[in-house]
Amino acid sequence: MKTRNIIRSVLAAVVIFQSCTKDEVSTPQVTLIEKVVADIPADTIVGLSPIGQPLGAGKFTFYSFETNSVVPSSDSNSTKWDIAMRGTTIMVNSGSSGPGKGGAFVYVGTFDDLTSVPADSTFKVDAAPTYAITTGSNKGWYVYTPQTNLVTPIPGRVMVIKTASGKYAKMEIINYYKGGTTPLASASDAIKTFSQRYYTFRFAYQADGTTNFK
Amino acid sequence: MKFLIQLLLLLQSSMAFAQLSTDSASARSIDEVVVTATRTPRYMGNIAIPVTVVNAKTVYQYGSLRLNDILAEQTGINVIDNFGKGIQMQGLSSEYTLILIDGEPLIGRTGGVLDLSRITVRNIRKIEIVKGPSSSLYGSEAMGGVINIITDGAGQNKTSAGLRYGRFNTLDGNFNFSRRYNNTDVTASFNYNRSEGFSLKPNQAQKTVEPYWKMAQQINVNHQINAQWKMGAGLRRNVTYIDNTIEVSNQGASTLSKGYERNEEYNITPFLQYKGNKVRSTMRGYVTGFQATQLLSVKGMTDTYNDKFNQLFSRVENQTDWQIREQSSLTLGAGHVDESVASNRYDSMSTERRNSISYFFAQHEEQLTDKLTVIGGFRFDANKAYASVWSPKIAMQFKANEQLSFNISYGRGFKAPDFRQLYLNFTNLAAGSYSVFGSEVAKPELDRLTALQQIDQVTSMVGLLSALKPEVSGGINLGAKWKVNNQLQISANLFRNDITNMIVTDVVAFKKNGGQIYSYFNLKSALTQGLELDVDKRISKSFSVKAGYQYLYTADKEVLQSIKNGETFERSLTTGSSVRMKLADYGGLPLRSKHTANLKLNYENAKGFFATTRMIYRGRWGTFDQDGNGIINRRDEYAKGYLQINASAGFSVKEHWKIMAGVDNILNYKDVIYLPGNPGRVGYIDIQFNF
Repeated sequence: MKTRNIIRSVLAAVVIFQSCTKDEVSTPQVTLIEKVVADIPADTIVGLSPIGQPLGAGKFTFYSFETNSVVPSSDSNSTKWDIAMRGTTIMVNSGSSGPGKGGAFVYVGTFDDLTSVPADSTFKVDAAPTYAITTGSNKGWYVYTPQTNLVTPIPGRVMVIKTASGKYAKMEIINYYKGGTTPLASASDAIKTFSQRYYTFRFAYQADGTTNFK
Repeated sequence: MKFLIQLLLLLQSSMAFAQLSTDSASARSIDEVVVTATRTPRYMGNIAIPVTVVNAKTVYQYGSLRLNDILAEQTGINVIDNFGKGIQMQGLSSEYTLILIDGEPLIGRTGGVLDLSRITVRNIRKIEIVKGPSSSLYGSEAMGGVINIITDGAGQNKTSAGLRYGRFNTLDGNFNFSRRYNNTDVTASFNYNRSEGFSLKPNQAQKTVEPYWKMAQQINVNHQINAQWKMGAGLRRNVTYIDNTIEVSNQGASTLSKGYERNEEYNITPFLQYKGNKVRSTMRGYVTGFQATQLLSVKGMTDTYNDKFNQLFSRVENQTDWQIREQSSLTLGAGHVDESVASNRYDSMSTERRNSISYFFAQHEEQLTDKLTVIGGFRFDANKAYASVWSPKIAMQFKANEQLSFNISYGRGFKAPDFRQLYLNFTNLAAGSYSVFGSEVAKPELDRLTALQQIDQVTSMVGLLSALKPEVSGGINLGAKWKVNNQLQISANLFRNDITNMIVTDVVAFKKNGGQIYSYFNLKSALTQGLELDVDKRISKSFSVKAGYQYLYTADKEVLQSIKNGETFERSLTTGSSVRMKLADYGGLPLRSKHTANLKLNYENAKGFFATTRMIYRGRWGTFDQDGNGIINRRDEYAKGYLQINASAGFSVKEHWKIMAGVDNILNYKDVIYLPGNPGRVGYIDIQFNF
């Protein structure tokens, strides 16, 4: 029950944020956009392989911080998107992934602690199969627990992202399951399998091109 | 004092120092003779180490069948359901507690856990529980403490049979026989226990606890050759059999597979003892074997899953006790152990892994003044397969007056790396094809897989692969006993254990197919500390109350440091965002309850009627991480605390018959996820007949 309430409040927050910012965007001084985005599907499971392994369609979901929306995959070879997700793999619009000026690194700390991009930061670019956001359990942004068969975002991991157009954003993944709620450890594998690969995350995007997140 | 020592020497005239008959209703606990704490018979009131004794009468009146039943009701002990019923004492888990039967160690652990439900308590005289490191006398595993089950019989003429029936068609039958023929004692016991198991989740083919049967047979013969010499031997066999029906997911479809698990353990214990005026020397042999088989055949598959594990442990040991003076005694001992294991999880059944240990120990006890007694001792274990270990211990008792005594002890404990940690060679093809390699086989296996070009990359942990060292601990116990009057006794014990070199698994390499390869490292250090409090109050001639409480704090030291450094984060349940973790939010090691308590009401009248009610409270305990930081911190990472109430009542009919009935878990508390071994309310009736 409690977790349901949390989803409701997160969803409510999303609605509130969206309705507020529409008005606020018209004010020219506000260049920092903060959002919570819920339930972005990222290659969700469509079936099982002959040996019972869950399968997605194998496609990335592209997202733009600037427009705060999903970008159609037909625009994958453009600078219209900033990040893309497929399962636990995250791309930034850079290197092998796209034509943008993107890059990323994982900052250890809280979202609020990161008030600006540190001066000595190095942004990595994607070079598939190696990505700027390192893939794998306990290496980048998540940890996978074989005993419970669950993926959990590691707390205190903030992805600092250079967008396709070279602006800065920070992003924290909150949950990886549909509705923003991780299934119970005791839930069936079917529930865990089919509710995974839905991203709930918060981000802050600095539209003025500075490294400031305040 | 002289009187006491004379009495002690008088009492020493028995085998294995264990066959003293002290168990009577009127015996106060302080007069109990205890053998486990110092490996010599000592009055409980004279021991500088925390000891609890549970006698046969309590075990009977509480309706306990297996060792886990009675231990779960003791202050400071938790029984954890994981690979069987494992003990947790002073916050240390099962692999750090040594379990003895008549002074000899039990072998056969699964995942480090020795399943207490293997052991029947229907033929015991008493159970001695020693808390704190005792490796100075017992070697490996005696880190959190030692539990010694002392079986009944020797020196008496009695025959008894009993039958118990309870819920889930649980049947327990026991037969105990003991006879003294001139200078020869013969004791024998037989126990059979079965149950059809139970399901906590209805409509599932697989039961929560599968049907099982267990059988124990034991025979001991002791012969007094002359006034000084005595010899004897014991034979014991224990079998447990569990029916297994397991749902296996295969190609997306689930099939039922049938199989069984069978564990057999046996041991042989010959001894020869000399007892002179001041010297007593005992030569003991001990051979024990443990054979575990798990067999599972999946419908439609020709291959059967077959897991075998054979362990053999043989030991020869001498212990010599010398009463130097009235106030001074010395114990010396030395022994040799040969251990071997063969398992198809290691290599093949034909490859045996071996280890041998030679050890010696010494202990000196000196009564410095009427009030102050000091015991010091050490043990040295020289091992073939891993580094040698020194385990010193010192303990002091100060009797301020007749009512009040204090004791303090410091000891070091150790746990040798087990065969699994050294030699496991296991690849799980079903679950992501991960592999676990023991420290001794990791390097050659990695080389082999590298040559086969199966390794994608190795981690930095590879550089740390080396011979495993034993896990070691240092433990302090500070206790006080206050006998307020004949009706009221209060005791308290503060403890702290610091464990280093703890063995953990970590990833050494990734396979090209994505599977991870794990091995074992001496990396972790942890601490457990707390307070144990016991109050024993006799309210009237027939009514008494016992209450116990334990406060426990445990921590992984690396985690503590990381939290202090501000490097650990948690995800807020309310906002979903990460916050820097506060020290107060750290829940310590999993499966530990901060608060545990018990209250026991006992009634017994002169006509042989008794009734008991025991309330056991276990506070919430950490289960597993939910928010990705790998530690217990959030409230949804705990299992709920609960209260279990057990009651029993019974009476005797003419000397021969004893009839009792009881209900365990009256409140019918269940927790499907975190207490799978708890079936809810269970009623039973029990009849014993003394021939």
